[in-house]
Amino acid sequence: MVKNSKSSESTVKSEVVNIDGENFISNTDVEYGEPVGVVAAQSMGEPSTQMVLRTFHSAGIATTISSGLPRIIEIIDGRKKQASPTMTVTLEPKVAKDYDEVKKLVKRFQEIRVKDLISKHRENLKDSKLELTFSDSKLKDVGLKVDDVMKKLNDKFGNVIIEKKEDKLFFSYKKAKDIHATRTAFIHILNFMVSGLSGIKKAVIMQNDDETFYIFTSGSNVSDAMELKGVESDKIYSTDIFDVQKAYGIEAARNAIAYEIKSTMEHEGVRVNFRHMGLIADSMTLTGDIKGVGRHGIAGTKSSVFARAAYEETVKHFVNASIFGESDPLKGVTENILIGKQIKVGTGLVKLGVKKSDLSKIKADE
Amino acid sequence: MQAEIIENIKFTTLSPETIKKMSVAKLIVADTYNEEGYPIDGGLMDQRLGVIDPGLKCKTCGGRAKSCMGHFGHIELIRPVIHPEFARFIYMLLQSTCEKCHHILLNNAQTEDVSNALKIINLNSDEQQEETLFNDIVKKLKSVKTCPFCGAEQHKLKFERPTFFYLNGERLKPDAIRDWLSGITDEDLISIGMDPKATRPEWLILSALLVPPVNVRPSITLESGERSEDDLTHKLVEVMRINERLSQDIDAGAPQIIIDDLWELLQYHVTTYFNNETPGVPVARHRSTKPLKTLAQRLKGKEGRLRYNLSGKRVNFSARSVISQDANLTINQVGVPMRIASVMTVPLYVTKWNINEAKKFILNKDYPMALNVISKDGLRRRVNEGDREKLVEALQPGDVVERQLMDNDIVLFNRQPTLHRLSIMAHRVKVMPGKTLRIHVSAAFPYNADYDGDEMNLHVPQTLESQAEAMYMMQPKHLILSARHGAPVFYTEEDEIAGIYFLTNGETFYTKDEAALMLADVGIYELPEAEKDGTYSGRAIISMLFPKTLNFEDKNSKGKAVVIKNGKLIDGVLDGRIIGEKGATLIAKLYIDYGSDYIEQFILNLTKLSLRAIYKKALTVSIKDYFVTPEMEKEKAKIIEEVEKKAENIVTEYKEKKLEPLPGYTRRETMNTLMFAQLSEARDIAGKYLAGILTTNNNAFLLASIGARGSILNMIQMSIMLGQQSVRGKRPSRGYSGRILPYFKKNDKSPEARGFVTSCFVDGLTPTDFFEHAMGSRDSAATKSLVTAVSGYMYRRLVNALMDFYVSNDKTVRDANYALIQPIYGGDGVDPMYVNVKKDK
Repeated sequence: MVKNSKSSESTVKSEVVNIDGENFISNTDVEYGEPVGVVAAQSMGEPSTQMVLRTFHSAGIATTISSGLPRIIEIIDGRKKQASPTMTVTLEPKVAKDYDEVKKLVKRFQEIRVKDLISKHRENLKDSKLELTFSDSKLKDVGLKVDDVMKKLNDKFGNVIIEKKEDKLFFSYKKAKDIHATRTAFIHILNFMVSGLSGIKKAVIMQNDDETFYIFTSGSNVSDAMELKGVESDKIYSTDIFDVQKAYGIEAARNAIAYEIKSTMEHEGVRVNFRHMGLIADSMTLTGDIKGVGRHGIAGTKSSVFARAAYEETVKHFVNASIFGESDPLKGVTENILIGKQIKVGTGLVKLGVKKSDLSKIKADE
Repeated sequence: MQAEIIENIKFTTLSPETIKKMSVAKLIVADTYNEEGYPIDGGLMDQRLGVIDPGLKCKTCGGRAKSCMGHFGHIELIRPVIHPEFARFIYMLLQSTCEKCHHILLNNAQTEDVSNALKIINLNSDEQQEETLFNDIVKKLKSVKTCPFCGAEQHKLKFERPTFFYLNGERLKPDAIRDWLSGITDEDLISIGMDPKATRPEWLILSALLVPPVNVRPSITLESGERSEDDLTHKLVEVMRINERLSQDIDAGAPQIIIDDLWELLQYHVTTYFNNETPGVPVARHRSTKPLKTLAQRLKGKEGRLRYNLSGKRVNFSARSVISQDANLTINQVGVPMRIASVMTVPLYVTKWNINEAKKFILNKDYPMALNVISKDGLRRRVNEGDREKLVEALQPGDVVERQLMDNDIVLFNRQPTLHRLSIMAHRVKVMPGKTLRIHVSAAFPYNADYDGDEMNLHVPQTLESQAEAMYMMQPKHLILSARHGAPVFYTEEDEIAGIYFLTNGETFYTKDEAALMLADVGIYELPEAEKDGTYSGRAIISMLFPKTLNFEDKNSKGKAVVIKNGKLIDGVLDGRIIGEKGATLIAKLYIDYGSDYIEQFILNLTKLSLRAIYKKALTVSIKDYFVTPEMEKEKAKIIEEVEKKAENIVTEYKEKKLEPLPGYTRRETMNTLMFAQLSEARDIAGKYLAGILTTNNNAFLLASIGARGSILNMIQMSIMLGQQSVRGKRPSRGYSGRILPYFKKNDKSPEARGFVTSCFVDGLTPTDFFEHAMGSRDSAATKSLVTAVSGYMYRRLVNALMDFYVSNDKTVRDANYALIQPIYGGDGVDPMYVNVKKDK
């Protein structure tokens, strides 16, 4: 903590000390034993009381972007399903300048399901028949024709007879089904994805300062977006940590966690050094998988029985420990506090010693 | 003072034999005390289990209430019962063993897989993985139809919470289960990762119940003289009573149904004895319907043994009082009232070098005197009138003299909630008259304290090691920079900022007398260079505080340059960004370059000087600063008209269905969102207007603009309007159907009907405005309490996850098992406290 302390621990002097031009603090390295984990936790935990609990709608951008405390908790917990993931897709330099190209490309992002294209649908459950009326304007928006949709549906649903009449499609079954099965089958048809990437609810074109374009999506699907032509496959930023892990690997996920915490904190106007978030991200991704900090993550899978029992689910941990004859090596902080020993962190890690030469001086005094 | 070192603690279960070996008494009477209030032999308060009455002696060890720690007893259960906490595990074991030959149902190939997996687990000595492995094995084996060893058909097993087992639809009683489990060989258990030395499965069926010592469940004597037993004792009495009845009925040859009923009842009492919150079991209650606190409840949760008693320790040598501020203390000092200082003690470890000093304290008849003398053999003696001389004579090196708290002693000072390490800091004592603890004005921020009645705690470290640690690492003067972001956490606020503003705005000049007085107050007895007319500028005066070698350049919050050359403030106003909450760059610079002792003195001097300056100015804020002028009225009307027109457009667009919905929103939500955004802007427009017309002649505006106190928002709300209120981040919408108050028409979408408050505090609020404002206030109050709960839990999880991490001597970050977390801390090994230290200097 305090380095090169030139201060004498004498009583307070009123005289102004002046050390010419030289930094009082010259060594800025962390010191041995510094409990960096606790410091990181405190640096995140202390200001978190000042953060907002609500997600705000920032006008102009696709949907609500979750922010504030809920977002931090979401990341730290390592939740598989995030409230509102987004993706920022950088385009190849050639494409990025051409608005028309980008416009074509953006249509391949947003997931379009059959139900998004129809203006009317009529179900006849008794005879297992479905009638869909397609909307011209909606088809135009996504650049599809009824024939395209029909072809795709034909490929997917082999046991369905599809007939086309103007802008209508008629579905019937080769073999009649019972009402329940029919209904689920219809839902499958309505939810059939005609184009786009699954999970992308909306994609919009945005402009950089240098007039090039990029694509911003609500919903995240990096692995599929990488495959699209015109997309810089190694320059997709996603706020979905698990998606990043899937597409780019665990190191990328580590960075994603740290940067997502960082941007959320910055958004709240809370200043926290990146090292703290880096440490949290590192500890979460240590095993090669994303592990939350909670009951099922780092805190709940510690090797010490006492540490786990003191955290949550006390009885469960004691019971299981006794069945398997676990033993607690008492190395961590909690365990040592429990049994009343000095903790092995910080100043508890070092012992005070006297140099042999000094000792002989004292003896000589006597 | 080091206790015996415990190397590790192993968890096992107790076999009936162990229980009997541990036990000093078999308990046979289901009662506690007899009519005379004397413990019954063989009862639950048997004197062999230890004593709690001060007059009695323990029959096992002969100790008295305080010296005897108590001894375990046991109850022999006439019929075995299942340990409820292990029921699930018993079920899993039954599933994975043969119902006939009791072998594990693994076939040869599976056995090999398991043993390979076990080898890896043992190699990593990761005991938790054994549990996962076992779960996997059970998952595989529960569907096995025939035993690979004896070929017996496996019937369907059913488990019903809490403790009922059925094989092929027929109830398996505990004794049958015990026979089954005893049939599993040790080798089989080892082969699936269990430790038969720690737990033989049949031990999980209880035939003897361990009874904790009396000390664990003391009875309390109420004021009325009535005895009240502990919850555990109550439960044990019931267990014994049923056990006894069961025994009698069996002996009398009662019908099986009655015996089974009693057996089940025994099981119920044992179940609730272990855990009164077992799912599927009715809760055992007192007569007052209060649920009993049994074993599991004692351990569990925030008030449980682990978190309340073992993780949190109570201390001596502490004091608590209301805090108040004192501008004459340094940030490093704490003003301690005489009443506290005369009771609290600091140990003086007597050596041959300080023995005379120690003797003086013993001989002193009033403050500062010694209160206790602890001799080498640990005997503590109060220093009384009369035996002072005797004590002095007997005093020798190795003794400890406890003397009263004195000036410059080091103490720890703390305010709850202790959210970060700056919430406990070490201060130097300054004994003072009065009853409050006092700190420097600027020392409040890291504690997040104010002086409206906050109380804080004071602790006196009792060993030389802890005193040294506190001195070198916990004093505010060493903790100027925050470990969170590297910026100062001690800086000037409010009056000080205002004072410094007047000193440094370049328009303030003082006469020689005034200048001399101000400087003398901070202990400077020289005058700076005078102006041509013989006056002294504020900038010249404040420059006297800087070291002559200081060179500093930065921009203040107005974007104007602040230049200090060779310790002289040349240009610029020192405001919030330079010395206050918005960065305090000058304080950081001074600390980094000139050190702890300098900054401690500097902050004190700055406070004194700035307060002198503000006394001279006598700045007052009055209602006059907020008066609404006719022009303001006009402008206000204009703003409202402008905003409402835009809002109206949105409503018309909405009604004509022309409004394009925002993605993911319905039309109505879009309308409301846009309206909210539009109307919230009214306040911003008003703010810009106010900033344009108000001058620094307006004290309230002046204070807000230099960052001393208040904000432009306060001024807007005082003299223009309160603006759009928000409830749950939206316009208020609930209350009555289609409207928020009955004074509006239903489905009125106008701004006023949805929380747009156009009146201001100076003019007063209309009743509807008042209501709408109160709705907003209530919402923010409710949110605040919610945030503390949510963030508190997040904090706890974070700390629990990260607390074992420390920097090793090679700058790697390690956890408790020395596992590598980061190869070099933060990527560069730099302490976040010092990130703003420029190395090139």
